[in-house]
Amino acid sequence: MNVISLNQPGRRALLMGNEAIARGALEGGLELAAAYPGTPSSEVVEALYEARRDRDFYVEWSINEKVAFEVAYGASLVGARCLCAMKNAGFNWVMDTFMTISYTGCKAGMLIVVADDPDAHYSSNEQDTRVAAEYNRLFCFEPSNQEEARQMAAASFQISEHLELPVFLRSVTRISHASGDVTLGILPEVQNRHQLGFNKHWKLPYRWNVYGPPGAVAKHDWLLSRGALMDEIAATSSFNRLTPSPSRIAVIASGLGASYADEALTNLGLLGVVQYLRLGIAYPLPNAALRQIFATTDVVVVIEEGDPMVERQVLRLAQAEDFRGKILGKDSGLLKPTGEINTDLAEEALAKATGNLTARGNLTGLPAGGLSSVTARGNLTGLPAGGLSSVTARGSNLTARGSVSLDATMSRGELRAEIKPRITPRSSTLCAGCPHLGSYWGLKKVLNRQSEDAIVNGDIGCYEQAGYGLFTKKDLASPEDSKRYPILSPYTILDTLYVMGSGIAMAQGQAQIGYPGKCLAVAGDSTFFHATMPALANAVANQADIAFLILDNSWTAMTGHQPSPTSCRNALGNPATRLSIEKVVEALGVHDLHIVAPYDVKAVEGAVDKALAFHGPSVVLARGECMLQVIRRTKRRWQTTVVTEGCTGCKTCLQLGCPAITFADEKAGIDRLLCVDCGLCSQVCPFHAILGGK
Amino acid sequence: MQLNMIVAGVGGQGSVLASHIIAEAAIAHGLAVRVGETFGAAMRGGAVASHVRMGDVASPLVKKGGADAILALEPLEGLRVGVDYLSPEGIVILNTCPNYPVDTSIGVFPYPPLERIQADLRSLGKTVYAFDATELAIQAGNARTLNAVILGALAGTGLLPFSAQILEEALAARVPASSLESNRAAFRLGLQRLEELKKGA
Ligand SMILES: Cc1ncc(C[n+]2csc(CCOP(=O)(O)OP(=O)(O)O)c2C)c(N)n1
Repeated sequence: MNVISLNQPGRRALLMGNEAIARGALEGGLELAAAYPGTPSSEVVEALYEARRDRDFYVEWSINEKVAFEVAYGASLVGARCLCAMKNAGFNWVMDTFMTISYTGCKAGMLIVVADDPDAHYSSNEQDTRVAAEYNRLFCFEPSNQEEARQMAAASFQISEHLELPVFLRSVTRISHASGDVTLGILPEVQNRHQLGFNKHWKLPYRWNVYGPPGAVAKHDWLLSRGALMDEIAATSSFNRLTPSPSRIAVIASGLGASYADEALTNLGLLGVVQYLRLGIAYPLPNAALRQIFATTDVVVVIEEGDPMVERQVLRLAQAEDFRGKILGKDSGLLKPTGEINTDLAEEALAKATGNLTARGNLTGLPAGGLSSVTARGNLTGLPAGGLSSVTARGSNLTARGSVSLDATMSRGELRAEIKPRITPRSSTLCAGCPHLGSYWGLKKVLNRQSEDAIVNGDIGCYEQAGYGLFTKKDLASPEDSKRYPILSPYTILDTLYVMGSGIAMAQGQAQIGYPGKCLAVAGDSTFFHATMPALANAVANQADIAFLILDNSWTAMTGHQPSPTSCRNALGNPATRLSIEKVVEALGVHDLHIVAPYDVKAVEGAVDKALAFHGPSVVLARGECMLQVIRRTKRRWQTTVVTEGCTGCKTCLQLGCPAITFADEKAGIDRLLCVDCGLCSQVCPFHAILGGK
Repeated sequence: MQLNMIVAGVGGQGSVLASHIIAEAAIAHGLAVRVGETFGAAMRGGAVASHVRMGDVASPLVKKGGADAILALEPLEGLRVGVDYLSPEGIVILNTCPNYPVDTSIGVFPYPPLERIQADLRSLGKTVYAFDATELAIQAGNARTLNAVILGALAGTGLLPFSAQILEEALAARVPASSLESNRAAFRLGLQRLEELKKGA
């Protein structure tokens, strides 16, 4: 048996940093891992493949990092602890998804492992991805050795679930590709799989949909509201250690930099002499410890591997605290900003920084009263002692971002407050006659009939309207892990909605981990070529049981009808080569492909039925040109569609979501200005009371 | 001098074009202008509000409570914008022909009664000129000239620092030749209706 899957707690073993991360993740209850290889990160998943021989969990090499990230994220949303690993360059491919999913957080713990490569041993750049964690306000671990890497990976899932946000673990070549002694922890026996479930309004309305009510800005507020929970962990975690001393000098070192600082301080005889803050969490920093340092020192030296990321955070707080001493690091020129650091460089820097002071006899200058020890009062995860349930304060400011009127007199403010509740929201819709309406009608019929637990993953384009919901007053959120909601309106079909290309890969994560319902995704033609082809290849390569609806309206409609590869015209209006989606789909190895016209709702229904019945990746290609473009070309307008006496007022046609269908005096009607005679409403009327159209 | 207006409507009604036409007329008259970005998914039946500012202006947005005029191509949208932006001294040109949001047609939210919308706007501003502008557009021969009716009405308020003719020419320069006549007719119908309303008021 491989040492990674050996259940011998307490046993010491030599592990490579990447193996230690893999082992830690298994100890933390990992259920799904996805990655794309890249040195120095690849061995995380290689080690997991080894462990897979002995343990039951899902692991895949994905087609690229973005797909891997979305596969993992999809699994988290249905309740599986997941990991995604990549190298620095690979991280750049994930940026769109990375920056967006943080607004809704995750459900089961998610660990993002990024191995940076200072000195560019294996890479084309030296970028420091910790900056991205801070940029995105995600909790960031930074191990100083292999044992810490294991411990951090193991602790990550619990922290992630507490924060409801992914945890970022930044490794570097000399952690990932170096080895060290590791003490094995306990491998949990029980797998979580039976708990898989999906609730689209988990704790917050439209939880897994950045656009869903109350909108992306409110979700951004929610993300920021998690900061206090992170601060609490940073303040109490034993991965951060402050060793105070009477010295007026402090050293702050983070991650691998701390391992160099440990040695450099020892070599210089300064360990235990100067104050030393050793950080295992690069974001957020423990502000109380920093304040204590500012209050008791004149010089702060920051040692870290990569960009001056910790240094800048220290500078920022120092400025706010009006710290008058010096902060020395890479920005100050004490250490060079490129390449790797090492013990020699750290020693040199520390000698330089402390030398002058030593000469002035400042080094052990004792402040009156001394300092109380703040070392090691935390537990390993830094989670509050009362358990997870004791922490509240989630999303309290998610609602009501009403604008505050500064100019109003009080009475005017009151007047406004009195009027506002009367202002009916105007949810946006698809256009009258939009081909997506027909596709969604067919899809909805199938889902309401046969697939109670299905998850429909949305994507970016006009069709994302089907995830916006209506701005209803109802508070939908519920804490249950699994809950099905009827599709009430045409605009509540999509369960998840993030960034271009994310839907189809997320569906794979859900399917691969064994979510019991059907896993679907939709995307348009422009999005198909932009971002879903790798994900579709991934579904074939890893044989994911998903259904993918491609809504080909021949244009990049949402952004203003720029040409897409299926337009047949370029932006000058001249003929252009048309790329064939079906040929691409077939060439990617999809065997179950159905091509339908969205204006034939029965055909769409039949195709979706077949696709869901098929085991493995299947595609429904619904092809109908964007109606706005058709109208521009043909000047087609309302001519014939009428609601006849046969209308029973059943409102079925309203569920089509076409803005040209009105309802008054218990009867449906047609808005003559908007109707384009597409014929969809006459197809869906169960009483054949709408006539005309195509 | 500063004149602040907001054109409010539903995506597809031509409110953005109307705001550009006002701005172009102002430029023709030698004024500095700003047209604020529009909000909402204009293509897809969402709420649209386009801020038009002229004179001594620098930023793209009208201050809360600072709109001298709200041009509402749809009543609910007039109220949505008016509640925050209408100045106590401001006027509203209100098309009384509603365009029901999907939230109303599927029975989730009632549409406020028209009289209520007008009363609310009256309590917020100085004068509300309410009339069925959609009907006038149809009279002009093309329901899609609704925005031209509203522009004509604006010209009739006397609020603009330039003549109705400058605005009508800016309109003529921006509409397709095929609908030029109906747009001019719509403009004049709007102008005429507003003058009648002013006399009545
Ligand atoms: C990474 C990224 N680039 C660009 C956009 C802007 N954008 C929004 S929708 C869209 C394309 C939609 O086209 P398609 O998928 O064909 O759907 P349609 O709107 O035609 O239904 C683009 C490019 C984006 N959201 N994300």
